[in-house]
Amino acid sequence: MKKWPLIIIIAAVIGLAVAFIIGQLLPNMRTTSSDIEVNITDPALIKHGEYVARTADCVACHTTLGGETYAGGLPMLTPLGAIYSTNITPDKTTGIGNYTLADFTNAVKHGVRSDNSALYPAMPYPSYQIMPDEDMAAMYAYFMSDVKAVKQPNLKSELPPVANWRWPLAYWQALFAPKRDFIPESNDAVLARGQYLVEGPGHCGSCHTERGIGFQEITLTNADSEQYLSGAVIDGWRAKSIRGEHRGLGTWNVDDLSLFFKTGRTDTAAAFGAMAEVVEHSTQYMTDADLNAMSSYLKTLSPTPNREVALPVKQDVTTEKLLAGNYDSRGALLYVEYCTVCHRADGKGVARIFPALDGNSAVYSRNADSVLQITLGGGRMPETPYDRMAFTMPEFTNLSDADVAEVVNYVRNSWTNQAPEIGVDDVVKMRAFLAKKPKTGTDIAPDLSLTAAAKGAK
Amino acid sequence: MNNSPQPLPAIANATPHNFTVAILTAAVFAVGISGCSQPDPVEQNAPQYGVVTTDDANEDIGTYILPQDTSIADEPNAEQIMYGKRLLNETKRLLPEHVGAEMNCNSCHIAQGKIPLGDPYINSHNFYPRVMPRSGTEVDLTKRINGCFQRSMNGKPLKPESEEMLAMLAYMEWLSQKTPKDQKVDIMNAGKVDESLVGDPVHGEKIYQAQCATCHGDNGEGIKDSRGDIVFPPLWGDESFNIGAGMARTYKAAAFVKYNMPMGIQTKGLWGHGNVLSDQDAIDVAEFFTHQPRPDFAKKAGDWPNGNKPKDARY
Repeated sequence: MKKWPLIIIIAAVIGLAVAFIIGQLLPNMRTTSSDIEVNITDPALIKHGEYVARTADCVACHTTLGGETYAGGLPMLTPLGAIYSTNITPDKTTGIGNYTLADFTNAVKHGVRSDNSALYPAMPYPSYQIMPDEDMAAMYAYFMSDVKAVKQPNLKSELPPVANWRWPLAYWQALFAPKRDFIPESNDAVLARGQYLVEGPGHCGSCHTERGIGFQEITLTNADSEQYLSGAVIDGWRAKSIRGEHRGLGTWNVDDLSLFFKTGRTDTAAAFGAMAEVVEHSTQYMTDADLNAMSSYLKTLSPTPNREVALPVKQDVTTEKLLAGNYDSRGALLYVEYCTVCHRADGKGVARIFPALDGNSAVYSRNADSVLQITLGGGRMPETPYDRMAFTMPEFTNLSDADVAEVVNYVRNSWTNQAPEIGVDDVVKMRAFLAKKPKTGTDIAPDLSLTAAAKGAK
Repeated sequence: MNNSPQPLPAIANATPHNFTVAILTAAVFAVGISGCSQPDPVEQNAPQYGVVTTDDANEDIGTYILPQDTSIADEPNAEQIMYGKRLLNETKRLLPEHVGAEMNCNSCHIAQGKIPLGDPYINSHNFYPRVMPRSGTEVDLTKRINGCFQRSMNGKPLKPESEEMLAMLAYMEWLSQKTPKDQKVDIMNAGKVDESLVGDPVHGEKIYQAQCATCHGDNGEGIKDSRGDIVFPPLWGDESFNIGAGMARTYKAAAFVKYNMPMGIQTKGLWGHGNVLSDQDAIDVAEFFTHQPRPDFAKKAGDWPNGNKPKDARY
């Protein structure tokens, strides 16, 4: 009996050692070596690589607000501390200047660093995994030849000891990011291209698919599960379902979606928060054909199981009340004082200037986080050359939490909108969350100088 | 002695799993702790301004707290105040006989007259009556409001005792929050621009096209909603303010534009407004749009009877 503790300790130590060794070996099983010959100075290849990098939105995470492009340093908050994105400029000491094409491909597609250790899954390699090696070669040429080398050392993660070990991530990869190939659901070339962009470089699932117990996306493909792209919460935003149900893309058509990807706006909706960043850095640069492909594919996704395919028809009685001065609730009073000047009595906003609240599926989603965050934190639309100006929503931090709850419930349940009520607690939580959240590019006011106007998109 | 090799792979496999569980437990715990220490709901943080005496602006003798409209219900004449607020917000729709332009009072008095530098009504109740240089006579608040109706709104005055006029006066009185008559809230109604600068309308038009035309239209026509109600007021043309309006004067318009325009471009401030133009740019764009064609003001001959006409007066 006395020997049991010792045996357990020995077994644990040996077990850990074996796990460690296997953990060291696992990444080797993921990596590939490529025999593609790549001429990194080929202008056509560089240009293609730049486009691929846009579709994969590398810049969004590998650049800080006001920092050098691709020099990394953006914090990703985890409950145990921040981890930071890395310098992916071709600087030889602090960036990826010494990477071979194989190193580059292994990092992007397989999540394995040149020193053979695993990358945190904040990097969406489970999505990038289906990208063809030819695109890796093109991106490699772009990063090596056309991206400015920036000497900026990577920041160490703030994870505490043990949690900052990298070898256990190899098991995560084995469990949640197995090797896979792209399997088109359709023979239609447009839909297949759209599916590829959504599933692969676009990594839409990183935000729009729910995550599981290991922080993995619960599914990486539509074929695998109808929970794919059924919506999730990330950075305090509700990344809405982009499947077929009413609160998903049920009220959107293909052209609306393509225009939204290209310009960040439609006549009724506007991208804000994390999606504004996606439009500003990525989708606005995509070809019309690729945008149409993505939109067309997304519109093929079935409604998420057990969600309303269509919400009950609701008559708008709000507009007439507001026009008649019948402000019959505290929410109505607050709406008239703070919101009507832009979003209007009919909740329709002003086309391409102020988004509609009525009939806007980002407003009446079941989860109110996006409405709460934009109300308390403000934000701006993406800047693209399509519109002369990008507008902001100001932060309404001076309102009491109780009043924010009142007005949010009001807009989510007025006109034809219908959504679950929120409580004051939800406002308190969002305010506390925003106090700690770092600002991003679309949290700050747009550059309205004439030189910026002449330059167009950022 | 029983630790045969067989169980080891099982342990090895279990370790990372336990590790994951440990992280997740810690994570859940961390979230739990932060959840437990959740702060109490915050109360409204209303803007506050000092109160000073009207004759000695240096004396800080109190605090003015900007009221939220929800508190109107506490007033005995709540219905009247609320009607006044509606008239100021939706003047053209509710008083079409009196408003010639496609303008509302609150097109210029931004955020219901609650914003310093945005032509607020906060001090209006106490400021009048007084002798004004433009008329050369004593003007009370009723006359002042009717001045707006005839100039900025290019329309007709309201009867002084009309329900509508009394409602607007009631809103402004409520907004003064019982500040005593010999005191005022220590704010400025308009910002300052350097009036020694000369406007360049050519450069002003470039600014207009880049930063104003999205809302006010390529030809200054403004935007109406689907019911035909004005959203963004026209800045020139038959539906705009006439040359008798303060806004038709370059430097007055420049000061307004600098501190209040555009709207919806800052992440702070009730309208997310203003503070993007330099004095020179504001004066350039003001010089451009104020001097576009606009209605005449019939009674212009009566203005500034005692001289001292400002240099940007239009007649």
